[in-house]
This record gives sequence, C-alpha cells and structure tokens, in this order.
Amino acid sequence: MAITTQERPQRWDQPFGLFMTDQDVDRLLTFPEISAIEESKFPAHCSLKGILKNDARVIKYSAGDIVIREGDYGNSAFLVLDGSLKVVLFPGLPGEMLGRRTIRKKTLWQAFKQLWTQRKTPEVRDVKSQGQHSLVRATEALGSSQVFLQDVPAILDKNKTASLGKGALFGELAALGRTPRTSTIFAETDAELLEIRWQGLREFRKYDQGWRRLIDQRYRANALNAHLRATSIFSHLDDKDLQEVADATLFETYGKFDWHLTYNKLQTKEKTLGIKDEPIIAQQGDYSDGILLVRTGFARVSIDRGNGQQTLTYLGTGDFYGADEIFRAWQGDSNVSLRVTITALGYAEMLRVPSKIVEKHLFAYWSSGREGFRKGALQSSVESRRMQDYIDRTLTDGALLEWAVEERFVNGTQAMLINMDRCVRCDDCVRACSAAHDGNPRFIRHGKTFENWMVANACMHCADPVCMIGCPTGAIHRSMSGGMVIINDDTCIGCETCANSCPYSNIRMVSIRDDVGNFITDPQNQKPILKATKCDLCADQISGPACVFACPHDAMRRVDFRETELDENTTGF
Amino acid sequence: MKIQQGFSLVQVWRYVGLASLLLLVTWQWTIQIDSSLGISALASGWVLFGVLAFLALFSIRKRLPFMPLAPSAIWFMLHTVGGFLALFLFWLHTDAMGSKGFYGQVLTILFYITSISGVIGLFMEKVIPRQLTCSGVEIIYERIPGEIAAIREEVESLILKCTEEVGTSTLAEHYLETLNWYFQKPRFFLNNVFGGHLSQHWVRQQCMILERFLSEKEREFLDKVYSLAEKKRKIDFHYALQTLLKTWLLVHIPMAAAVTAMVIWHLILIMVFFV
Repeated sequence: MAITTQERPQRWDQPFGLFMTDQDVDRLLTFPEISAIEESKFPAHCSLKGILKNDARVIKYSAGDIVIREGDYGNSAFLVLDGSLKVVLFPGLPGEMLGRRTIRKKTLWQAFKQLWTQRKTPEVRDVKSQGQHSLVRATEALGSSQVFLQDVPAILDKNKTASLGKGALFGELAALGRTPRTSTIFAETDAELLEIRWQGLREFRKYDQGWRRLIDQRYRANALNAHLRATSIFSHLDDKDLQEVADATLFETYGKFDWHLTYNKLQTKEKTLGIKDEPIIAQQGDYSDGILLVRTGFARVSIDRGNGQQTLTYLGTGDFYGADEIFRAWQGDSNVSLRVTITALGYAEMLRVPSKIVEKHLFAYWSSGREGFRKGALQSSVESRRMQDYIDRTLTDGALLEWAVEERFVNGTQAMLINMDRCVRCDDCVRACSAAHDGNPRFIRHGKTFENWMVANACMHCADPVCMIGCPTGAIHRSMSGGMVIINDDTCIGCETCANSCPYSNIRMVSIRDDVGNFITDPQNQKPILKATKCDLCADQISGPACVFACPHDAMRRVDFRETELDENTTGF
Repeated sequence: MKIQQGFSLVQVWRYVGLASLLLLVTWQWTIQIDSSLGISALASGWVLFGVLAFLALFSIRKRLPFMPLAPSAIWFMLHTVGGFLALFLFWLHTDAMGSKGFYGQVLTILFYITSISGVIGLFMEKVIPRQLTCSGVEIIYERIPGEIAAIREEVESLILKCTEEVGTSTLAEHYLETLNWYFQKPRFFLNNVFGGHLSQHWVRQQCMILERFLSEKEREFLDKVYSLAEKKRKIDFHYALQTLLKTWLLVHIPMAAAVTAMVIWHLILIMVFFV
C-alpha cells in the first residue's frame, strides 16, 4: 500500500505579509528600534530576520486611513516607520465615523410596518444607499480593505488628539493581552508602518530585553493598576500600596493565543485527553505561592476524580483564586496546599501576586481590625465554602457545567440554550428570527446537545470574541451599548475572516440580492457579493430577541453559563 | 442567577383561577337572566364569542413576532386555559345538549373536533418532546430525507465494498431483497408513533437470518450495516413523532378557522332574526 507523505508543516509556512522580501527585512534592520535588538539572542529556529520576514509586514496608509479603531480586537502591534499618526483621545470618535453600526430601536409603528414591508426574497439590500455611505476603500494588500475618515481637519478641530511620530510603538498591549483597543489611531499624513503579529511580538518580548522592558513597563503603567484596582480584594489599597503590589506582580501566559484555530481538531479528540493537554497554571496539592488573577481568557478549576479531572467551575477575566489557601497558611494552619488544579482553557493570561505581598497588604489589613477585616475575611470564607460546595457536588450535578466548559460554551455571554424536553420543534423561533432579519434566520435550531439541553448554532456574543480578530474593516464589533457583537452590513466586505474564525460556526455568509430578487454580483468577476450575518440579539427590535419571545413553550433562553443555574418547573407548562 | 423555565404551579393555578372566576360570573349571570325570564343564551353566547375571539388572536400573535405583545409562552398558557374555558362556556351556552338544527349540529361537531384536537395536541406537546430527547439523536424535520439518503448511500457503498473485497454477493443479494426496502424512506410509522420496537426487531431478524451464511469478513460488514440501521431507526422515530407534532395543527387550525367563521355567521343570524 502506498504511503502518503508530506513535508511537516512549519511555523512560517504562511507568512503574515505575502510580499515581504529579504530587501524589506534588510531595510527594517536599519531602523533604530529594530537595529537595537540583539540578533544573537534569538535562537536559530526563530531568528530575528525570520520574524521580520514572516511575522511582520510593512503597510502604507494614506492620510485619513484608520489604523486601529477603539473597541476592535487585534492580534498585532504597529511601529511607525515613517509619517505621522494621530491618536484620538477621550471621548473618541462616534461609532458611525469608525464604520460601526448605529443601533436604533424601531418605534412601535416601524415594528408593526414590518408586517407588510418585508420582502418575499431574503437578504435584499438597498444597493444605492450602501454605495453612498461606504467608508471602505481597497488597499494595496491583496484582498484587504481599510476604513478611512472623510474629513480629517474637522476631526482634528473637534477632538483632542495626540501625535505619534517615527519610532512610536502602539497596539502591543491589546495584541498580547487580547483586550479591545483603547483608542482610535489614524494616519495624519501618508504613513508607513510595520505591523507585527502577536507571535512575533511574543518572540521580541521573550528574546530581547529592551522590548520586554518596554512592553512590561507599558503594561504596568497603563493597565495593571487599573486591573488590580478593579479586583475586589485590592480595592481598599491606596495608590502607593497598589503600586507596590503592581511592581511585585508577575505576568504569565498559558495556552495558545489562537486556540480557536485548533478548537475543532480538539473536539474530535477523546474528551478526557482534552483536559490533560491543557497547560497547568496551578496544580492540586502544590503549595500556593500567590493569588492568581485572570487577566484575559479562561481557566478551568478542577480536582482529581478517579482516573480523570472533575471540573468544578471556571475563572474568567477579573476572577482570582488562591487567597483562601494563603490566608489559612498565614493564620497558622499547617499543610495548606492547593485544593484544586487550575488549567488554561485555550488561552489564559494570568497575573500572580506573590504571597509575601498579599500577606503584607491584604492579610495585614484584614487583621488590623479596620472595617475591611470582617469584609475581607468573610469574603475569603464565603469563597472557601463555595469551593467546598463545588468539590462536594456529585458528578451528575456538575455534568452540565463540565460539558459547557469542555465545549467552550462558557465563552458565550448569550448562548442560545434550548430545553429539548420542552421544545416541540415547531420552529416558531426560527420564523420569528427570519421575520426580524431580512427573511433569513440568523441561527440554526440545531447544535450540540447534552441530556435535554441543546446549545443551538446562534452567536453567543462571546466574552473572548475571536471572530473580531482580523476583520479588516472593523465591521464586526462589540456594541458600546449592550455589549453584543454585531456586524455593520455597510462596511462588511464579505472576506469571511470572521466566519472562518468563529470556533462555533455561528457566522454565515449570505449572497445579497437587489430589490427585484436578483443576486448582486461583483462587476469584475461576476461572483455574488457576500455579507457576514449572525445573531444580533434583535438589537433594533423593541421586543428584544424575537426567538425567545416567540417560543410558546418557554423552551429557549439566552444564557451566560457562569451566572446560570438551570431550574425547570415541573408543572409541564 | 437561577433560570426558571415554564410556569410554576402557583402561576398555573392563577390562570386557572381567573378562568374559573369568569366562568362562575357568566354562570351567575345566566341564572340571574333566567330568573328574570330573559334569554340567558345571549349572555353566555357573547362571553363565549369573546373567548373564542381571544383564542383566535394567538394565531395572529404568532405572525407578529416583532411586536411587543407579551411573550408567546404567556399567550400559549392563556390559549390553553382559554380553550378549556371555551368548552365549559359552550356547555353552558348549549345546556350541554348541543344544538338541534343542522347548522348548530355542524357547528357543534366542528367545535368538538377543534377542542379534542387541541387537547390531543396539548397532550402530545407535553409528552413527545421528552421521548424525542430520549432517543439520543436530534434532527431537524426537513433534513430527515437527506439524512436517510446519506445513510442509504453509506450502506450501499459498504455492500459494494463487501462484494468487491470478499468476492461474494450474499450480503448484496439479501440487501436487495430485504434491507433495501427499509433504507428507502421512513418506515414503521405507526409502530414508532405507539413506541413499539417492531423496527428494531425486523432489522435484527433480517440480519440474524443472514448471519449464518456469511464469512467472518462479511459479518464485519453486516455489523456496520446493522449499526447504520440502528441510526436510521432513531431517525424514523423522530420522523414519526415530529410528523405528529406538526400535523395535529393541520386539523386544529382549519377546524378553528371554520368554527370562527360559523360562529360569526351564527352571531349575525341571531342579531338579525332573533334579537
């Protein structure tokens, strides 16, 4: 039998920039920010030149082009090689200017009017109005487009801005931390930028002291204090003490940043193997050396049970673990080890606040007799009791959460959960969705099931919306009001990046039609124009999500698994 | 946050209580009219007409999912309780005897068909979903023909592969004579509706008959065919029960529409010639 062989896929088989040449790399090495990097520190398999050629690309922007938008999720940082950029300071630019969709709830009359204004053919678009308001223009890079600002002088007049010149680095915190961009930056003049994807950035941080210092300093200066301040146990600290805690805090990353790319492969694996492959953040039985805070991503909390691990709960951004163990040890309990194992679910970025600092600033405060003592100690005991409750829970009681964690549904903040014991498969939900969205439903009443629960293929409006990474126009974005992930149809260029990135296959590409019902095609190649569509939680409908509203058997709910305890009334109605 | 699905017992009793109150008030009203030698059927008739009109509104509500008209689940609950209330009001209106004239008798029959189909539908909607869940598979009704075709294709390619690899046609011939029939479309409809195991028994029987004539290698293929037949059996089960869930409405809704039309005509006749 013939054996099929192929060369083992390599890291740089698919470079970030398709047109980067050796000459480009040599040119980049002449810029002071790059030339300062010690090339010899990089290992042979991950050379500096290799990173520049494969994990970076040079992009040219015209004056007015938006480089990054506030609220976008990006996976790259930028270094200004030439030209001048402007950062729009608080309160930022309005959504429409950035190519966002403006959500306006329909009035009662507009809602009622849908009864006869709905077209018989689905996905009809008003071509004329779409062309008129287009903020998108094609760029040199193949298949890429950018959103541009139409009246830069007026923007400069009306908004507070700061300048970024040659040598400025930006976007690295959002790229490495998987957090939304905090401000909008656009090209004031024609500009040339080096865009480095997060993998390259990670290597720079790893092998070059200068970049590591720079990135860490920026994180400590810009984000760490705010994160600690927002964490309940540190909220009592004054600025000086908080700074001391921040200075001692360690950064750790676990798992793969692009976990969504391997998610589907993982699904075919044996379930028990999945958890064993997860990077361990803290191991059950080990001595606790600090409080662990989740900066981004998710972490699974589990205990050894039989031959496997039982999931107790999970930690998301802003959650922490470990205070109880250290507190008990500090109080004199001997043999206090971690009761649980914490592993990264896909990707997690953690902050570790060492025990000594915790003892000094937290426990000392708790024991000082001030108001915080009772509150803090009480919180610690409540957390401890809650964890014990999780540990005492039977396998059956925790099975639904175990499944939700396994399938990564915990990422969803609005997962469509259907109780199949109540659902009569009438599809009223599908018809309602269709009626509210251009005659085409935005979800499929089908999905993964566990016992009598089904998580249908509907956008879950994830806490970690990987679909937003890489959208070239920012058409898919998180709404500032309500937090749902929505798509601006006007600026969607149909590139399918979001649909391919969604690990749950909840984004669908549709061919759009004109008023007559004919497919709208690209005049250059006659191919139909595609648009990405997904559940938008009926953002513009006054009744809220039509699907839930239309279910006569109350079988459907939009849920956040973390906050949800399902309880079915047994009356049958 | 605890998610409550459905209605609690208290809520259900609240709706039932309201319906009972309306029935009691109507009954008292008719007694009062009777005692003053009035026509009590007019009073009960008007209330019945109001309830029937309200029941019909549920259908309109379903066509307006984008209007803020209270969740459909509340409408369904009101429709259910209202349906039973209509039945009692109908008995009150007709003295539980039904009408004597032809028109009245037709209306009575249609009303009973609507009511009975509603009760049966309600029963099915409370029982069947759980049975479907217990089957272990979940499938969209419209996709069933495609699923069966895919299974059939898989089975036939297995049979062909068996013939090619083993060099005998025993399995293929038996398939053409018996199992081919099974894999063509959903089978054993009625048996599935009543929760029988005839389908399973039939497939097992066909495989057992064949087993002794097969080699070890052929048996491996037969095992695979059997597991696909099992999968198809579950799909058949879904087909049967989901068909029931969909088709009872094909009786209930047209009958309800006919009742509504006849009631309106009945009302016109009463108003024109009687009152």
